[in-house]
Amino acid sequence: MKEPAFSFLRGSVTVVIRGGDLEQLINRLGEQGIGVWEIKPLPDRRMELSLMVGDFFALRPLLKQTSCRVHVKKRRGFPFLLSRLLQRKWFAVGLLLFFLMIAAMSSLVWDVEVEGNVKIPTEDIKLAAKQEGLFPFQWKFKLSEQDKLSKNLARKLEGVSWVGVTIHGTKATIEVVEATKPKEQKLASPRNLISKSDAVITYIYAERGYPQVTKNDRVKKGTILISGVQGGRSVVSKGEVKGLVWHEYEIEAPLVKKENVLTGDKKKKGYLYFGNTAIQITGYGSVRFEQTVTYTETDPLTWRKWKLPIGWMSEAVMEKTQIEVSQTPQQAKNSGLAQARRDILAKNGADSVIKEEKILHEKTENGKVYMKVLFEVEQNIAEEVPIVQDQGE
Amino acid sequence: MSRIARKFRKWTVDALDLPGDLVFELPRLTLIGGKQLLIENHRGVLHFSEERLSLALSEGGLEVTGKDLVIKTIVPQEVMVEGYISEIKYRGTGEKP
Repeated sequence: MKEPAFSFLRGSVTVVIRGGDLEQLINRLGEQGIGVWEIKPLPDRRMELSLMVGDFFALRPLLKQTSCRVHVKKRRGFPFLLSRLLQRKWFAVGLLLFFLMIAAMSSLVWDVEVEGNVKIPTEDIKLAAKQEGLFPFQWKFKLSEQDKLSKNLARKLEGVSWVGVTIHGTKATIEVVEATKPKEQKLASPRNLISKSDAVITYIYAERGYPQVTKNDRVKKGTILISGVQGGRSVVSKGEVKGLVWHEYEIEAPLVKKENVLTGDKKKKGYLYFGNTAIQITGYGSVRFEQTVTYTETDPLTWRKWKLPIGWMSEAVMEKTQIEVSQTPQQAKNSGLAQARRDILAKNGADSVIKEEKILHEKTENGKVYMKVLFEVEQNIAEEVPIVQDQGE
Repeated sequence: MSRIARKFRKWTVDALDLPGDLVFELPRLTLIGGKQLLIENHRGVLHFSEERLSLALSEGGLEVTGKDLVIKTIVPQEVMVEGYISEIKYRGTGEKP
């Protein structure tokens, strides 16, 4: 038999055998299936051989049968090492202490983590958890059952619909699902709704308050549309009032338009970047273009879902040139009107509807089209004005 | 082994061209240089010293002489000897298998 695998771990001995019938002993060892190796004859009818510790005790009866005597020459392997080390008292104590400490450390909660909270501060959740006995450096075995813990936490915390507590190793994770609350209404003081501008009412709906006008009424700027005084009490009036309003616009539209266009010539540059530092790798040389636009694209290295602060940045420097586009008076007029319409929607709300537009006056002069346009717009005309109580004269 | 069985086996070996060490349990020796010798199908150690190893075989015996001989491993059917092997003597009984 060869020296078996892991003989160091299991431990082996080298013994010297003297006297008796050595050949018979070798044969017997083979028959019994005792694994021995390195049988070395020594002078004076002695013999040296190695075997596993476990087999050593099986050797005994064979020695008796062949009337040989044995003497252990060398011990090798971990079991002997261990027994020798354990003879040193303080080493044994240290070893025990080490394992005890590992066991103790790993049965502590080292970290409490809170996940999923948006409105509830993490500190509040941690405080509630602390009251329930879940805090850093707490013994894990002192914690109550996880379902009980999460139930108690859910009861303790306000505004949560579910709390889950999981413990992974030495880390406790509190997962919180917040309850969605109805939107809080802003407090408002009693108010009237008045007209923003001169208009003809097309639609009135009072949710609260007392409507003062009806459809097709003509109102001046500042007229009370929905009154907040209802039966002698002041209320927060609320509602929607729409009306037709006239807007007069003076429009100037140039006949020659300047436009920026790209010529198609470009120069590419490549950079390697680390954080905020970029090192140019490719695309050296001066740029010949007079006017340029630069487009930058970064391509960070990613690992799983994280973007690393290292990556490749490519820059394209495009040549730009200005061209003059001349347009017919009709085109200039259209673009001027379109701009005016956009302006109306921007100023009076996107739900405004342009009912009619009338060009009152139009002339072409000095390369420009001058127009005076009247827009009839149906828009929201209500404005909130708080009711000022009489302070007494 | 009875005579008939022996004859049948011999016929099988001849007819099928089988190696004799498998069927008749004849000893098989593998010698690597003068350093290592593997003996299969031995029948026990008769003498073992630094200079001489004597083995019993199914028929006859084997004597290995050399210097610093060491039995590396030993199992019921196999012995591996290492050392400086100078001479191997095979003693057959002359009996036909």
